[in-house]
Amino acid sequence: MTMGTVFALLGAALAALLAGVGSAIGVGRAGQAAAGVVTEDPNKFSQVLIMQLLPGTQGIYGLLIAFIALTNIGIMGGDANLSTSEGLLYFAACLPMAIVGLISAMQQSNAAVAGIALVNKRPDQFGKAMIFPAMVETYAILALLVSILSIFGVAALH
Amino acid sequence: MAVVPMKRMTIIAARSDRKAILEYLQRQGEVEIDRESPDDPYYHKIDVSGSRQIFEKNVGLIDQALSVLDTYAPLKTGLLDSMSGRTILSLEDYEKGVAKRDKVMDITHQILSLQKEDAECKASVPKYEISKESLASWMNFDLPLDFKGTKRTKAFIGTLPGEWTMENIYLELGQLSENSDRFDVNLINAETQQTCVMIVCGADDEAELSDALHRMNFAKAPISHAVPSEEAKELDAKIARANAQSANIAAKIMELSAHREDLKFIRDYFKMRADKYEVIGEINQSDRVFILSGYIAAESADSLAEKLNSKYDIVLEFEDPSEDEEVPVKLKNRGYGWPIEGLVENYSMPGKGEIDPSFVTSLFYYICFGLMLSDAAYGLIIALATGVCLYKFKNMEMGLRRNLKMFFFCGIWTVVAGFVFGSFFGDSVSSIAQTFFGVEKAKAGTLLPALWFNPLDNPIKMLTFSFGFGLIHLFTGLGVLIYTDVKNGKVADAIYDGVFWMMFVGGCVGFLLTVPMITNMLGVTALGGNVATVSKWVAIIGVLGVVAFGGRDSASIGGRIGSGLYSAYGITSYLSDVLSYSRLLALGLATSVISSVFNTMAGMVGGALPVFFGVILYAIIFIIGHVLNLAINALGAYVHANRLQYVEFFGKFYHGGGRLFTPFAAKTKFFRIKEDK
Repeated sequence: MTMGTVFALLGAALAALLAGVGSAIGVGRAGQAAAGVVTEDPNKFSQVLIMQLLPGTQGIYGLLIAFIALTNIGIMGGDANLSTSEGLLYFAACLPMAIVGLISAMQQSNAAVAGIALVNKRPDQFGKAMIFPAMVETYAILALLVSILSIFGVAALH
Repeated sequence: MAVVPMKRMTIIAARSDRKAILEYLQRQGEVEIDRESPDDPYYHKIDVSGSRQIFEKNVGLIDQALSVLDTYAPLKTGLLDSMSGRTILSLEDYEKGVAKRDKVMDITHQILSLQKEDAECKASVPKYEISKESLASWMNFDLPLDFKGTKRTKAFIGTLPGEWTMENIYLELGQLSENSDRFDVNLINAETQQTCVMIVCGADDEAELSDALHRMNFAKAPISHAVPSEEAKELDAKIARANAQSANIAAKIMELSAHREDLKFIRDYFKMRADKYEVIGEINQSDRVFILSGYIAAESADSLAEKLNSKYDIVLEFEDPSEDEEVPVKLKNRGYGWPIEGLVENYSMPGKGEIDPSFVTSLFYYICFGLMLSDAAYGLIIALATGVCLYKFKNMEMGLRRNLKMFFFCGIWTVVAGFVFGSFFGDSVSSIAQTFFGVEKAKAGTLLPALWFNPLDNPIKMLTFSFGFGLIHLFTGLGVLIYTDVKNGKVADAIYDGVFWMMFVGGCVGFLLTVPMITNMLGVTALGGNVATVSKWVAIIGVLGVVAFGGRDSASIGGRIGSGLYSAYGITSYLSDVLSYSRLLALGLATSVISSVFNTMAGMVGGALPVFFGVILYAIIFIIGHVLNLAINALGAYVHANRLQYVEFFGKFYHGGGRLFTPFAAKTKFFRIKEDK
């Protein structure tokens, strides 16, 4: 086992960990708001459920990055012998998803909570309410993209 | 693909025909009646709010009664029953059914009062049970608990906190009173929490004993006029009676539930009447005639006029709406573009002079969805599920049908994208082949080759494709802007806001594609020849045009140049718009990578066990994993397909702000009345 593998695994773990934490916080917050709406009007369940799930995608992106990192490192079958610099490259590649995932999920949940309040008052505006949290998610998607491209790029180096 | 042209309609008719005409219009549901008719010296409005309130109250009562029936005699409904839509009723049946309204209101009141009675019964049971429980410690006491003593003696019946023995009580009383030897303590029941006692004294010592007991925190026994054991029996009987009565009421309500359909029918009847009276209260009437005005789609004007004229003696006029009127907007699309009307309605109806964007949006929406979900199996599941529902439930409500149809087309494009990019439940074909058929990894990967390429192997190619798709999408948006402006006779605006931007952005893109650094990054071959020069000049003309005319609304020259320069800065928003299409790659990859995570997990578990158990466990992990993945990624694809239309695409040409056409119609819940032809 080399130091490089340690760094690489640390990166993969952080991507799943921080993005997952962010999504858990986000979905939890939005869920509280959604439950409040459903106590008033159970018919809005499906609408607010969709709103609640919106901050949940970062956790999935984190899982995705962790998975392709693990596969490329060679931890899931294969020989995991990376040089320290290779390991650090993987570590850096995972960081955008980890950090942006954490923060964007929490911020997205704020927009989702506000959107849930909007749906509560004006259910016909659901389409618009959904767009506001989706705007925040753009940055998680960009981070996901950079992380994916970096990991594929780093894998192509060795 | 069109906004339906509207006509203004005015009807003048005899008041004796008012009911018939309004009901006819309501059933047809083709006219939006003006809700505020102008004041007129010869006409007045009639206050019908009283009757309207009665009708609305009846609707509320029947709704309550129906929900009571649903709790006492629930209908067995399947998940899919909600798709079957309202029952269709002929006009004759409708008119026959109306006669039942008094009987139905009677039944409604019966149901509600039965339910109230039952609620009282049910509430009394726990009350009796609490009384019974408080008597439990007194069971072996053979006097009524409110026994006060005889002529000469006084009895104190009650409890002391904590557990006491006879001696302790005497000791304590002895300390609190000098005459404790004249008290007679009877211990009835001693428990850890409380001790039940009866203490008897002479009539003269009552005050002293009372004082002493007060200091010992004595509490009086529960109020009861009977001997506890008998009282308990009586309470038992009461509980049994209440339960029996409650069951009896439930049976009665069950019996009344046979009228459920009638209740639903009369509910709709009152709802329609309430809506009708709302209109009656708002139109101008004289003693003999009434005037009604509103909007109607031009295409249905003639047929409506014909029918009304043949039935009633009326004056009917149509005219084109004037320029400054805010005409309500109705969209009309067929087939492929129709489901997108819902998406447009969700955003905003087209404003004055704008075209209906449904069809042009449909050209991209389904493909966006397909590219983001991009799994042939998931697409098949969505298309089959929605297709079967659409086929089976012909009578489905319009809104639901529209949504399902939208997902049907989304599903079709997901299948296409799935095969183009080689994904069927992710890499399930390769995973199953490796786990159960011992195919080697390299060979298994070629069993279901992508028709074009696999984004997992070549993400950059997919990224370039996404940007290219985005550019086409954005340019189509600009194209629609040019089309709309030209159609409205604003050719100059079309050139300034559309053509110059197309040249500016298109030139920039063309130029970038000749720069080797960029093309290497995107993995495409650099364009050679004169492309660089041509696109450079196109871009320069474009940017000059934007700077010169972007600020044409400013009064001063300085302001005009300033805001022209600022509008050229808008090129950055094109950059972010194009980058935004990278979500097509990201979400597409998310689906396939998560699929392969589950396939790998299933393969690891399934491959390590004997074949029989291996297959079962593989199937379990496979099903759970893919259901989860389909749900979360379909949601993502839906949200982001919407976003790409609302933000990137509509941002280029569509503002909305129109008012949705809401005709006066039968807003019923359970029945739909079909006009006889």
